Amino acid sequence: MAVEMNRLHVAFACLGVAFLLIFSWVLFHEGTAEWRTTQARFRRFETTVKNPHQLAQSAGVAGLRQIWLPDLGRVDRCVTCHLGIDDPAFAGAQQPFEAHPGTWLTTHPIEKFGCTACHDGQGQATDYRSAAHRPLPFVLRPMRPLETIEATCGTCHRSLDPPDAPRLAEGRRLIVESGCFSCHEIPGFEGLTFRGPALDSLGYKVRPEWLPLWLRDPKSYLTRSKMGNFRLSPGEIAGLQAFLLSQRASAPLDSTDIEWARADSANGRALFGELRCVSCHSVNGRGGTMGPELTRIGDKVRRDWLFSYLKDPHRVQPDTPMLQYRLTDGQLRDLTAFLLEEYRSPETGPEPPRVTYQDARLVTSGQAVFERRGCPSCHRLTAIKDPGRIGPSLAGIADRDPDELPYGRNVVRHTTDNYIFLKVLLPDALAQPSSMPTFGFTPAEAAKIALALASVRKADLPASYVLRRPVPPPYRPAGTFGELVARYRCLSCHSVGGYGGSLSTVPLDRIGSQLQHDYLTGYLLNPGAVRVSVEARMPVFHMLPAEARTIADYLSTVFLDDSLERYDTSFTAADRRRGQELYGQLGCQACHQVGSRGGYVGPDLSGTGARLKPGWIAAWLLHPQVQKPGTLQPDYGLSAADAGALTAYLGSLGSGGGPREREAAP
Amino acid sequence: VKPSVVKLGVVKLGIGLLLMGVLSTGCRSGPRPAPGDPLLDAIRADERGANLSLSESQGKRLFAQYCATCHGDEGRGDGQNASNLSPPPPDLTTATGRDTAYIRKVIAEGSAATGRSALSPPWGHSLSLQEVDALVAFCESLGRHKS
Repeated sequence: MAVEMNRLHVAFACLGVAFLLIFSWVLFHEGTAEWRTTQARFRRFETTVKNPHQLAQSAGVAGLRQIWLPDLGRVDRCVTCHLGIDDPAFAGAQQPFEAHPGTWLTTHPIEKFGCTACHDGQGQATDYRSAAHRPLPFVLRPMRPLETIEATCGTCHRSLDPPDAPRLAEGRRLIVESGCFSCHEIPGFEGLTFRGPALDSLGYKVRPEWLPLWLRDPKSYLTRSKMGNFRLSPGEIAGLQAFLLSQRASAPLDSTDIEWARADSANGRALFGELRCVSCHSVNGRGGTMGPELTRIGDKVRRDWLFSYLKDPHRVQPDTPMLQYRLTDGQLRDLTAFLLEEYRSPETGPEPPRVTYQDARLVTSGQAVFERRGCPSCHRLTAIKDPGRIGPSLAGIADRDPDELPYGRNVVRHTTDNYIFLKVLLPDALAQPSSMPTFGFTPAEAAKIALALASVRKADLPASYVLRRPVPPPYRPAGTFGELVARYRCLSCHSVGGYGGSLSTVPLDRIGSQLQHDYLTGYLLNPGAVRVSVEARMPVFHMLPAEARTIADYLSTVFLDDSLERYDTSFTAADRRRGQELYGQLGCQACHQVGSRGGYVGPDLSGTGARLKPGWIAAWLLHPQVQKPGTLQPDYGLSAADAGALTAYLGSLGSGGGPREREAAP
Repeated sequence: VKPSVVKLGVVKLGIGLLLMGVLSTGCRSGPRPAPGDPLLDAIRADERGANLSLSESQGKRLFAQYCATCHGDEGRGDGQNASNLSPPPPDLTTATGRDTAYIRKVIAEGSAATGRSALSPPWGHSLSLQEVDALVAFCESLGRHKS
């Protein structure tokens, strides 16, 4: 019994000692925790940065600090160590005490956004390692390096052109341009459409020998082709060729009377320049990107089809942004001949006869390939009903478990970022069969697309954090004006209420209050260069004078801004003199010409009085970025009086740059 | 304890150790390559080719859009509009004694604010704070990368 008691005493004594040791170890460990030593370091460091007066005012730090954001489900204790983060006195100081660089905390207050909403990482951790400043096993979202941080900008900023995030903006632009959302559902890109050409009459359009080359590798014909390489087998190509060349829904417009032997390709060349085709189409690497490159158009299309298409593009391609010029058959003939002669490979022979496929099995197999590979997602073909999106939905792709994704033979860190990047760059190089085409993106382009997709998260944020993409309502005017807008495809380049293209310099919403009616009419008939340094220019439509009047009348009556129209124009000679002085003092001549003197970054201001309305000039000078976001015109922060004086001066400028003759009073 | 049992135990231990050795060498047949970050590499290759920091490379993009028409792509004062300017734009790669505050003032308030010609306009009302930051960073990098 005594022995038993003794044993128990010994056991209790040992336990007591063990508890004491554990307890003291805990105390010691807690007292020397990384964040405590860091805070002690900070207190010493603060005395070297601040003077005694500032020190007396500073709140002193002791204990854990955190930012709790219940809306975002985040607790960020980063500020426990990053103690100078919002104090300008610590600009450029040693880490972790450095103030946040730049002015980001001004636009993104730390109390509202915390740290991990932008930087990722483990916000609740209180030491360097477990906060995942560097990648850490089992941590899905370690801190992002600055190179990829724009992905988190994109979780709140949903517009296609988010501010201060150029790589994200470029990635989203590439997604829109490549039409990824035709095959994949991608949240944030709803309502956008991407259309390749309709294929209903392809049998009339292309030379038969061109099609298999295109299908094998579109980049071999157009280096900037938007269509990816589907890695088709020769059998699939043969089937598709037979199926597509059998599509002959509407024959080209009759061109049997055209005397091709009399075609004047020198006149065609002149027309090619005058019509400003290069505003939308590039040739030999230069020109716009809205339409397809024309450098080798002669290898691709048939003559009678091209003639018919130039005459009326909308008959066979109702969705095309291409306008319908008003040209005579002779002009169309010359232009067609020029295009086919000038832009073709030397080895391309004369046009072969049409091919008719008798082998119904081949055609059927081609149709099966067409449907299986999702061609109808981008190309309209009346014979095929739209099968919907063929690719998997990308909703929440950024929150996929990186360890469940395939990486193929690539030795990479397993992150969703890397998976998306590799998939976009080399869809077939991951360890699973893929029917996604290879788009031929450069690594830099693929990285930007991956950044844009890495902002597509599963859980949605509270509405107060999200800046949604504006979706403008479609603008389709009726009547004669509407017909002209459709014919000349004004909305391919110009926008109304945010709807339309962005190639033009200003939106049309208040164009009637911007431009003088007579100038507008003249400009529509013969558009000249307002900005000589801008390559894309308005095409010369060969519009009828009556049509130009109709459009100008409509714009000058409907597209008005009453606040600009009401502008008081009772200027005195003193106002004009003051305006002229200001013009020199502000340095306007650096970018604008008046009477052939000055720079050519902005428009030539000679003749402004006949071109612009005074209310617009004043409004533009006061807030240029409101009238046209991103414009190169600087906002000088002018007073209304100074803007008025400049308006008086500019409005008095005649076409030679001197004072304009005062029109006789009516 | 019988010696045969001890012998058996030693043999078992030996076999076990041998197996472990074989297995462990089998697992590590060569030096494993460190896993890469291809996305990061692609961005760095694209934007740090000129050895610019992040904010400098953002500034470079803005510089090309807003400034290069006069100042030239590399800030040498040889932009296409430079010949129309008197005085001509300075070569920013050789400009010395320009501290951050001075550069910020010229960009945000225009060259007239520092007592020079008015030809370089103020951008402070048009660009965001971040954009001005990035432009300042890029301008500061111009002298550094002269060589």
